[in-house]
Amino acid sequence: MTNLAPTAAVRPVRRRRRMPRDLPRFVLLCVLALIFLAPVYWMISTSLKSEADAISLPVQWIPTQLTLDNYREILTSPDGNILRWTGNSLYVALAFTVLHVLLCALTAYPLARMRFPGRNSWFWFILSSLMIPGIVTLIPTYIMMLNFGWINSYHALIWPGLSGVFGVFLLRQFFIGIPRELEEAARLDGASSLHILWRIILPLSLPALATLAVFAFMGSWNNFLWPLYTVTDVDKMTLPVGITTFSQRYVTEYGKLMAATTLAAVPALIAYLVAQRFLEAGLSTTGLKE
Amino acid sequence: MTITQAPARTTTAPAPTPRRRVPLEPYLYLLPHALLFFVFTVYPIGYGLYISLHRWDLLNPVKAFVGSEFYRNLFTPGTPQADFFWKTLWNTTFFTIVSVPLLLAAALGLALLLFRPIFGRTFFRAVFFMPGILTVSVMGILWRWMFDNQIGLVNAAREVLVNAPPIPWLSTEGLAWVPIVIGTVWWTLGFNMTLYLAALGNVPLSLYEAASLDGATPWQQFRFITVPMLAPVTLFVFVTTALSSFQLFGQSLVITGGGPSRSTQSVIQYITEEGFTNAQYSSAAAMGFAFGLIMLIFTAGQFGLMARDVKGD
Repeated sequence: MTNLAPTAAVRPVRRRRRMPRDLPRFVLLCVLALIFLAPVYWMISTSLKSEADAISLPVQWIPTQLTLDNYREILTSPDGNILRWTGNSLYVALAFTVLHVLLCALTAYPLARMRFPGRNSWFWFILSSLMIPGIVTLIPTYIMMLNFGWINSYHALIWPGLSGVFGVFLLRQFFIGIPRELEEAARLDGASSLHILWRIILPLSLPALATLAVFAFMGSWNNFLWPLYTVTDVDKMTLPVGITTFSQRYVTEYGKLMAATTLAAVPALIAYLVAQRFLEAGLSTTGLKE
Repeated sequence: MTITQAPARTTTAPAPTPRRRVPLEPYLYLLPHALLFFVFTVYPIGYGLYISLHRWDLLNPVKAFVGSEFYRNLFTPGTPQADFFWKTLWNTTFFTIVSVPLLLAAALGLALLLFRPIFGRTFFRAVFFMPGILTVSVMGILWRWMFDNQIGLVNAAREVLVNAPPIPWLSTEGLAWVPIVIGTVWWTLGFNMTLYLAALGNVPLSLYEAASLDGATPWQQFRFITVPMLAPVTLFVFVTTALSSFQLFGQSLVITGGGPSRSTQSVIQYITEEGFTNAQYSSAAAMGFAFGLIMLIFTAGQFGLMARDVKGD
């Protein structure tokens, strides 16, 4: 951290950038942004056209007649309730996130701040499980769900993922950096370790906890393969899986499909705007520790 | 530094032996996660191996031991398992070979464009990152529509711009990869861009200043400062991108359904088909191990990169 200060100070006052020099870069960025946004524009504009207009030639770049019929049909579709799927996803992702952050904190705490036999062996043992590709445990875990009677139950979407260890790694790294003096003062006052964790370690670790929570939530929310096969009851489906049943039902009725995907994208967009800071910061800090 | 708060008063004996009492407390903290870890990570590996060595039929309580039959099937020409496993494994490899360089080069390009201050920088960053938050089925249905055989946006644009007849992207072998690859690049580029932007911020400006004092051209500065300084992050981005490309599943499932005639089916989609559609659990479990072994190259690489960063206390 201290290394950055001198470089910043040495940085000479650069000559004011003249606009023309940056203009090509700016124009290029605008073109790229338009290309990136085009599919999103196309999604929303298709959702606002009648089915006939959606597939009419020549293409209607701008809808001539706006209609909310697609939304009305999708929201009252007899084939599945998109609002219900959103609620299911929210429930599963929230439950998973709370439990996961709690478990990771409880596990990372002794691994980072206590001394006991087997500590390092256990840490490396669980960490090495990151090398096991998920496909290896897919079938056996599915059979376990059958045996537990957890097919079509949210237990299947919550419990197996809680054994993950990346969050333990992340929090342990963070906990280690917290000065010991803070903890020792509390200990001299007779505080229990649980008290120290709750009152000292966790409050000081909010950025790491927030990052972990955002990743856990996104991971659970976007989970696709596992819920596709474990929760097949239409009423219990999560949003990503439910949407694909529409894809099979309204094969080429793109107006309705685009209304459904637009509705499905809204919660993610809102979450992104709220959590953007943690998401991007987390991505760069977990990605590369220099 | 030793834990003094451990509940030492468990027995009445004050034990005058050397104070090597093992504290109970840390283990209690580890217990909840450890239980889940054994049940859902350790046990399934052994259980999967067991399943793959038996004939697992849900309706038949007797699971006959068949040894390595399901593994040998993969190497016996003529069995559907051998045909489709290797075909879909090649499909997945092809997708990885095509998409990873794109996802690295384009992400670095965007990061370089966005690194220096420019009007609207935050907006541009958000635009390039935003597709990544969409869930795979939304992204897939959208790109299926974009490349629709008849009236998708791509065919419509071709008609307007070059007056060309529509191309049946989704039902032509080979071309069916185009929406999958482009959709994936659009979808995941922002993650890699963010990693590159963070890494560019860590390159000391003094290096560039020294170089320009010595008369280095912008290209030379890029080639001899930026590229080497970004080598660690490039390795990381390469490993994680290759890993996720190898796990191709949702994009091809939603966009093409794996077709036409399995030409875009990913190996994971084939394994799920064998397991969940055909109820050939043992065969699918064996394929899971076979494919997992190949993936180990990348997961071990990722593990190595993480292990390097582990802090001691």
